[in-house]
Amino acid sequence: MTAIASGPVLGGLLRRSVLRLRRMPSVLVPALVMPLFFLVSYSGSFDGLTNVEGYGTDNIVNWMVAWSLMMAASFSGSGASGVIGTDIDTGFLDRLLMAPSDRWVVLAGPLLYSMVRAAISTTLVLIAAALLGADFPGGVLGLLSTYVGCAGMALAIGCLGSWVMLVMRDVQAQALVQLMIFGGTFLSIGQVPVDFMTGWLKVVARYNPVTFVLRLIRQGFLGPVAWDTTWPGLVALAGMTVLFGGLALRTLYRYES
Amino acid sequence: MTAVAAPDVGARDPAGPALAFRQTLSLSRRAVISTLRKPAAFVPGLFFPLLMAAVYSSQFDRVTATPGFPEVDSFLQFILPATILQGVAFGSTIGGVEMAQDIESGFFDRLTSAPVARPAIFLSRVAGSAAFAAVEALILIGVLTAFGARVSAGFGGVAAIVVISVFLAVALGGFGLAIAIRSGNAEVVQGIFPAIFALLFVSTAFFPPSLMKGWFRVIAEANPVSTVIDAMRHLVIVGWSTAEFGKAIAVLVAISAVSLSLAYSQYRHRVKA
Amino acid sequence: MGSPLPIEVRGLLRTFGDLTAVDGIDLIVEAGEVFGFLGPNGAGKSTTVRMLTTLLQPTAGIAKVAGYDVVADANKVRQSIGVALQDAAIDPLMTGTELLHLQAVLHGIKRRSVADRSAEMLERVGLTDAGDRRVGTYSGGMRRRLDLALSLIHRPTVLFLDEPTTGLDPTSRQAVWEEVRALNNDGTTVFLTTQYLEEADELAGRVAIIDGGKIVRDGTPGQLKRAVGAPTLRVDVDAAQVEIARAALTAFGDERPAKVNRVAIGLEDGAPVMTEVLRSLDAAGVVVHHLELDEPSLDDVFAEATGRRLEGASDAVADSPAR
Repeated sequence: MTAIASGPVLGGLLRRSVLRLRRMPSVLVPALVMPLFFLVSYSGSFDGLTNVEGYGTDNIVNWMVAWSLMMAASFSGSGASGVIGTDIDTGFLDRLLMAPSDRWVVLAGPLLYSMVRAAISTTLVLIAAALLGADFPGGVLGLLSTYVGCAGMALAIGCLGSWVMLVMRDVQAQALVQLMIFGGTFLSIGQVPVDFMTGWLKVVARYNPVTFVLRLIRQGFLGPVAWDTTWPGLVALAGMTVLFGGLALRTLYRYES
Repeated sequence: MTAVAAPDVGARDPAGPALAFRQTLSLSRRAVISTLRKPAAFVPGLFFPLLMAAVYSSQFDRVTATPGFPEVDSFLQFILPATILQGVAFGSTIGGVEMAQDIESGFFDRLTSAPVARPAIFLSRVAGSAAFAAVEALILIGVLTAFGARVSAGFGGVAAIVVISVFLAVALGGFGLAIAIRSGNAEVVQGIFPAIFALLFVSTAFFPPSLMKGWFRVIAEANPVSTVIDAMRHLVIVGWSTAEFGKAIAVLVAISAVSLSLAYSQYRHRVKA
Repeated sequence: MGSPLPIEVRGLLRTFGDLTAVDGIDLIVEAGEVFGFLGPNGAGKSTTVRMLTTLLQPTAGIAKVAGYDVVADANKVRQSIGVALQDAAIDPLMTGTELLHLQAVLHGIKRRSVADRSAEMLERVGLTDAGDRRVGTYSGGMRRRLDLALSLIHRPTVLFLDEPTTGLDPTSRQAVWEEVRALNNDGTTVFLTTQYLEEADELAGRVAIIDGGKIVRDGTPGQLKRAVGAPTLRVDVDAAQVEIARAALTAFGDERPAKVNRVAIGLEDGAPVMTEVLRSLDAAGVVVHHLELDEPSLDDVFAEATGRRLEGASDAVADSPAR
């Protein structure tokens, strides 16, 4: 049923998103302010955590930066759903859906865009972390692991956000996506290792997929890259992407009904 | 046609301080009612601090045993003041948002086209926010106490914390009111939310200063919010201190003087326009 | 001592920065009148109402309401007027009764009369059963009626109604009109702004049209309509007879634009000369298929005065100036 090749359409949609970014680079700012603020304030405020036995690092920045990166990547992902939400609001989505191209392309454009944005914000947060005195014993592989984790997180959250947007059909639902991001990252190992926790949080954080992704993003800051840390993170990312992406696609293909 | 009939003054109270007081009271009542009937506006502001308290006390309990950490029962006890401060600070924007909504909807015009003592409309907003803050503080203390956080200074301490909360709501709420009255736009008022957020996080609210990085500690301790937090924390983890309580109230009165006079000058400008 | 005029305005002027919203208008509203105030959006209508209701201070000029100056005696004015503003500004979270109680206190009504007076007002606008429901659950028509009740609770002598039926369905509109007529019969002077010419025609004894901050027309609807000019006569004939008909008809007035196979003229002497017109057509051998005579409407008055039409301006936009 494909009437025209998807590749050029995808390219066109990605270009459109990136053009927006180039013409309005300020859209990056709100998505970066909060992660950077938390990086600085949490590193400054919770320095004493490193005194506790078993924290895993004696430099608080090494720990907190992963959470900040994760948040920045997630906001990049919700940027994708912002694009879709705006398109729904303006009716541009209808135009896209009437075009004789494959539907998944409509989602893929903004998702690719969110990964591009994640790469930019990851770089900026890494620079901030370096200025705050973060260590990076993980080398090139560690850096790769961080970038892959962040891009993957942007993709997964982009899928989640797009799904929410397509279901709610309201750009205001962006607030709901932010809330989910916040909940997901807050109830994980953002600030302390699982062993520090007690009660329900320990259980939630241990099995929260975000925890595995955080380990993937964080490993380069704590030591050399280990496969044991890497694969669970990749699986968590793949799982979230397949789940939310599938739901988003399903909703998109049934958009008219 | 016949002459204009005299206004129906027979059933009226004469204008004066007594009537102005009655009007202020009625309007304050309305402010509190409107707030309480819109749980979606204030429940997140209570829920979020409680969630943070739960998460932090689960994460950070081990830190309480390390050297340099003040003597506390639990991290939950340590974070009780921060939770209340956060809840009240978030709630303090509601008065401004509602004022802006009144202006947007035209309800404000209805009020000002009635023969109401001018300060009554303004004061009732402040009074409404103050009353609401007291309710919020009591709810938050109630919940945290149920989970085992203890206020060392007892009932007097709780009363003092409620009083501090009321002053805090007035001090911070004044800025929200000023923006609300100037802009007449609820979204603009909500724009001060990040500022409040930042003010709280760069303070001694969530961690003892002795365990902070040096540069951060300097900034945090200079933050007036820290003075308020330290006073509340003293009441919670140590016991009664008139000096600490007085310091917090003094700081809040000073901030209130600034924020309220800012708001009131905007208010006078708007009702005169 | 002569009794004061309900509304007396001399040289009223209001500027916002460089913009002159109201440009030195004069207005007199007599006791017992329903006065219709018309104007396109941004013409200065709402600005005038805001000044008369003490919500905005004039830049220059004098405005007296119920004999009191809107600046010097603002509180006296507020005691004398009832105001139902454009968007029926009502807090949706309060109940009708609660709002009436609040409004009563704001107007200084004695504590013991508050409940009675509120109940009386609810009764008057037919909302007794809905009094304890939150206003958020009211229909648009119910809100307007509550709005009216709120503006009447202190028995004002001058009532300002700013677009009282904008956005209402025809039935609710009728209900509001009935109430306005009833109030007027009781002696209340009504100052009405509206987007609907039909409404002004229906209710107002006198009408003023404001445009560009100036009053461009002022008089009874009948006077204004007559001033616009002759009624339009339209005659439908066979294509072959158009020229003959035109020759016969233009003797009675200038030709006006018309569709194919129709001749239209401005009938200068109006309905009384219709017999003559028909005789003349008959004499020329014209077979008339259809004929209509249209009196100018308030809409024509408005269009002629402002160069704009208002009909069906249902999605009214507030004409308050940017501030």
